[in-house]
Amino acid sequence: MKPFDIVVVGGGGAGLYAAMEAMKTNPSLNIAVLSKIYPNRSHTSAAQGGANAALGNKAKDDTVDMHVFDTIKGSDYLADQDAAEVLCSEAPKIIRELDNIGTPWSRMDDNTIAQRPFGGAGRPRCCYCADKTGHTILQTLYEQCLRKGVFFFNEYFVLSLSTEGSRSKGLIAMNLRTGKVEAFRARTVIFATGGYAKMYWNRSSNAAGNSGDGQAIAYRAGIPLKDMEFVQFHPTGLRKSGLLVTEGARGEGGYLINTKGERFMNRYAPEKMELGPRDLVSRSIETEILEGRGFDSPAGQYINLDLTHLGADLIKSRLPQIREMSMYFEGVDPIEEPIPIRPTAHYSMGGIDTDIYGRTPMEGAYAAGEAACVSVHGANRLGGNSLLEILVFGRIAGHTAAEEAGRFEPGEISRSEIEAVEQELREYMKPSGHYERYGTLREELGVTLAANVGIFREASKIEKGIADIKGLKERFAHVRVFDTSDVFNTNLMQVLELRNMLDLAETVAAGAYAREESRGSHTRTDFPVRDDENWHKHTLCTYENGKAVLGEKPVTMGKYELQERTY
Amino acid sequence: MKRYAYYLSCINEAMTKEVDRSLELWQHDLGLEFVRMHESVCCGGSNLDYVSPKHFALVNARNIAYAEKLGLDLVTSCNTCLLTIRSAKKRLDESPELRDEVNAILKKEGLEYKGTSEVRHLLWVLVEDVGLDEIRSKVKVPLENYSIAPFYGCHILRPSTVLGKDNPLEPSSLDQLIEALGGRTIDYDHKNKCCGFHTLLVAEEESLNVAAEALEEAIERKADFIVTPCPLCHTVLDGYQSKALKQASVTASIPVFHLSEMVGLALGYTPRQLGIKRHIVT
Amino acid sequence: MGEHKEEMRDVTFRVLRFNPQVDNKPYFDDYTIPVEKGITVLRALNYIKEQVDPTVSFRAFCQAGICGSCGMRINGISKLACTTQVWDELEKCKVPDVIKVEPLRNMPHIKDLIVDMDPMVDKMKKYSNWVESTMPESKMGEKEFLISEEEFKEYDKSTDCILCASCMSECSILRANKEYVAPAILLKSHRMNVDSRDGIHDKRMAELVKDHGVWDCTHCYRCQETCVKSIPIMDAIHGIREEAIAERGVRDTSGARHAEAFMEDIAKKGKLVEATLPVRTNGLGWTLKNLLPMAFKMVMKRRTPPPPPLVKASKGIRKFREEFNEMTSRVKREQKDHKK
Repeated sequence: MKPFDIVVVGGGGAGLYAAMEAMKTNPSLNIAVLSKIYPNRSHTSAAQGGANAALGNKAKDDTVDMHVFDTIKGSDYLADQDAAEVLCSEAPKIIRELDNIGTPWSRMDDNTIAQRPFGGAGRPRCCYCADKTGHTILQTLYEQCLRKGVFFFNEYFVLSLSTEGSRSKGLIAMNLRTGKVEAFRARTVIFATGGYAKMYWNRSSNAAGNSGDGQAIAYRAGIPLKDMEFVQFHPTGLRKSGLLVTEGARGEGGYLINTKGERFMNRYAPEKMELGPRDLVSRSIETEILEGRGFDSPAGQYINLDLTHLGADLIKSRLPQIREMSMYFEGVDPIEEPIPIRPTAHYSMGGIDTDIYGRTPMEGAYAAGEAACVSVHGANRLGGNSLLEILVFGRIAGHTAAEEAGRFEPGEISRSEIEAVEQELREYMKPSGHYERYGTLREELGVTLAANVGIFREASKIEKGIADIKGLKERFAHVRVFDTSDVFNTNLMQVLELRNMLDLAETVAAGAYAREESRGSHTRTDFPVRDDENWHKHTLCTYENGKAVLGEKPVTMGKYELQERTY
Repeated sequence: MKRYAYYLSCINEAMTKEVDRSLELWQHDLGLEFVRMHESVCCGGSNLDYVSPKHFALVNARNIAYAEKLGLDLVTSCNTCLLTIRSAKKRLDESPELRDEVNAILKKEGLEYKGTSEVRHLLWVLVEDVGLDEIRSKVKVPLENYSIAPFYGCHILRPSTVLGKDNPLEPSSLDQLIEALGGRTIDYDHKNKCCGFHTLLVAEEESLNVAAEALEEAIERKADFIVTPCPLCHTVLDGYQSKALKQASVTASIPVFHLSEMVGLALGYTPRQLGIKRHIVT
Repeated sequence: MGEHKEEMRDVTFRVLRFNPQVDNKPYFDDYTIPVEKGITVLRALNYIKEQVDPTVSFRAFCQAGICGSCGMRINGISKLACTTQVWDELEKCKVPDVIKVEPLRNMPHIKDLIVDMDPMVDKMKKYSNWVESTMPESKMGEKEFLISEEEFKEYDKSTDCILCASCMSECSILRANKEYVAPAILLKSHRMNVDSRDGIHDKRMAELVKDHGVWDCTHCYRCQETCVKSIPIMDAIHGIREEAIAERGVRDTSGARHAEAFMEDIAKKGKLVEATLPVRTNGLGWTLKNLLPMAFKMVMKRRTPPPPPLVKASKGIRKFREEFNEMTSRVKREQKDHKK
């Protein structure tokens, strides 16, 4: 069988844009998208807020440079400045291209694409479609991929990257419908599998499957992961479920209120108030709670997000999904009463190390979107930059892979390599005397990460976290898959996802332990200030002999000098 | 005596004449008087709306305006007429421009649509205005020997945004009425499902599959008969029954009664008086 | 505030099970678990999978009502498990405290609560459920289209669709014929049709009016009533029909001819002339073949609709005709102005 020119792993915004752009670059290529779910189910759909671009529709004086500066400042100067330049200068083009192929952007009175203010941005430049922006973008991209005849392998779970010397030659994946382990020989592979923040489990807003599969597979195949310690906590997760109330709620004028009835953000970000950058708002809320100004409830302490003063009409027309979610999952109608919220693990800044063309250090392997770390977000991502990143860098990775696919003829993936993987899967199903429940381990992983490698970190806590993860990995060896069926074995799939989360949790904790400073989302109470002299650099984490080994990489600078980050 | 402006449905004027005939027999027994509106024109079924929304509004504004002229609520015995006229009313009530446009034309015959008359179904009148207790007290021949499968029909339930009486997916009014008449109601999945009427002439095979499923379940659940408040459902379930069941390779059959006939039976009228002999399946 | 204990209750979930490798046919397993008030059906299923029986299989992803993975039938109605509160379902149980959970209907069954979504994707392709931009690809990214708020509103609600397939599971006609286009696809098709950026409106329309297309909908409104995003799906279906008649005339499909017959009759008599409806919809051949066998019985029962001359016109028909015609000329005037 002929090898694929490109196999994209993941069918979210980054993966679909990559596939679409690759087809545009060279229509004769043989391109496949592998996804463990139907692409239109991907977590891109959950991004409600919008995507930043200096279109200047709303603020005529907005510029790409201002967007670059906001991004770099927001990143606490850990973003690579060449990457941020690419992100922001491509932004207007991407937004318009999406418009050109049917994305239903909300509109302004002059019929141009509407833009609204978003946290950490100097101008209102966030383009949106009501509060379903990610959903409509994902639909549009999926529709266009169907139109272009992209070949989809839906409900395939990728197990490993197959390599030949120092380069990749394809993937091994399980067809969930049949349980069959299949090889996908490929000239190029693009990982676009999304983030890994679900390892925080109940304290995460992510989809159940955001287990960082691509990162874990790349990592085990020897590709380094970058800046894994940076996990963004979104300030406003619903108290009970961790589900997200988008920043749009604050963008439209919502207040954060403590038990004293104060808009406490005036103590932390007097100018931007509720629209300060996410890390700052999350820490502020956590501080309010830790200092006893949070509300009590059986599900834990929380703070109020008050929208009642906005009025029923505005809430119904601009924030219908937020209202629906508070009612479905929290039993609260935001028109009537404030929404109980607390910070929730939301986004992973770290990921597979790539350059600004989407290349990883391994030849033939590429990555894009939340799975990758270019890095445009550095230590903290701005609201409205995540959708933007998956689109811009999904497109770039697709283009690069299409250009470079012809350079290599991969060898066959051997039968024995496939069989080894099959054998590994069978091992999980073998009865043994003592066994562990994967659900329990998964929950415990989330609890220890939130407590020890969460918003506020310090050496002793992280040590505890590292020990817990080690213990969980030992127990994981006793996890048993009870479903022995070949057809749609979600029991097996969830166990494999847990394995990926455990491997990645180690890299998050390792990075957090090493980085003895506070920067962006990473706050060390024992090292409360940013330390540019020793830590203005990326961490790289490589898998060697079953262990996470830390290295480093310099930050690419440009015209913006290091400054203190205040809002 | 409670009075109503009674809307004459095309189908009850032509094919299912027994509906209005039986209603007329017993209306006074329950203290009801249905004033026939001979000026009624066809509501447009579920078709006129998308052929010409404006004509749709005009036609039904006129129908309602005649009821308003009598100072009475408009009542119909047909589900689709109910939904259609209510949809038009909703649109007219929500749009002053449409109302003005239509009224400018209706002025020709001295009519005006004001929005003062409600548009209701016979079933609603029975349950809400007469009341189940009153009906129970008037029953002469309780239907106690009968297991009855209620078949609501879609357009008395859905869309709930226009109809909004019964729960659109778990209705109960017809069940309650059956019980008030002394019958035993059968709870079956298809009671709130579709009969397939509206695609009968366009996709007959599909329509009859839809009908056959409902008939089969009622037969399986050992119903003595099906009762429906909609003459269109009746036309499929009765008129097309043998064809539908043949298509589904089912040999049994089941009688289908109109709501007005079932009430008539319990009030002591004979099947012949009520026109039940006119049914295809007897 | 103060602490309060959430209400707890033992609830049985009667889950449809089917593993094609070992089972000849589906069966039900009962799982009785303690449930706290405020918990969704999906969380209950997760609990069953994690703590009671890991072999229970269902799809779930975002758990927040936006990805559309966990569509299933709960107490007989298709909905998302993640947005359905257990407490709300308890009121709807046929057997007290037993919640029935089954897979969606009308799509091939794979295992337990999982059905094959490929037929939906295939239909998205068949009916070109995408915008084929009027802008050449080489120009893309340079300029945005200008789109009015009114146009945006035309597809705002339909772009809420998350393709959960609840509507397909509830559809009466899809149940009768799996070839039928299905509600979600009609919704999406109409959303594309009203998008001014799209250039293949006519091609899509030509497909929609064919057999198994838009005219096969039987107006049962189940799709709309069960839509998890409360999208008025029937508006889209009517929208397609309205456009089909306006653009393609009324002669090219039986559905359109059927609809037009209503207009004709009302204009003439104020009443439907049912006797000739089949002929006008499907032609003489079809009518003889399909209805003649039934006609005999109908005549015997005096159930045949009266022939056209005997259909009595409504009272005041003359005035009514004037009004009807006046509306016709108004509409024509408007259309002319609109074209200008």
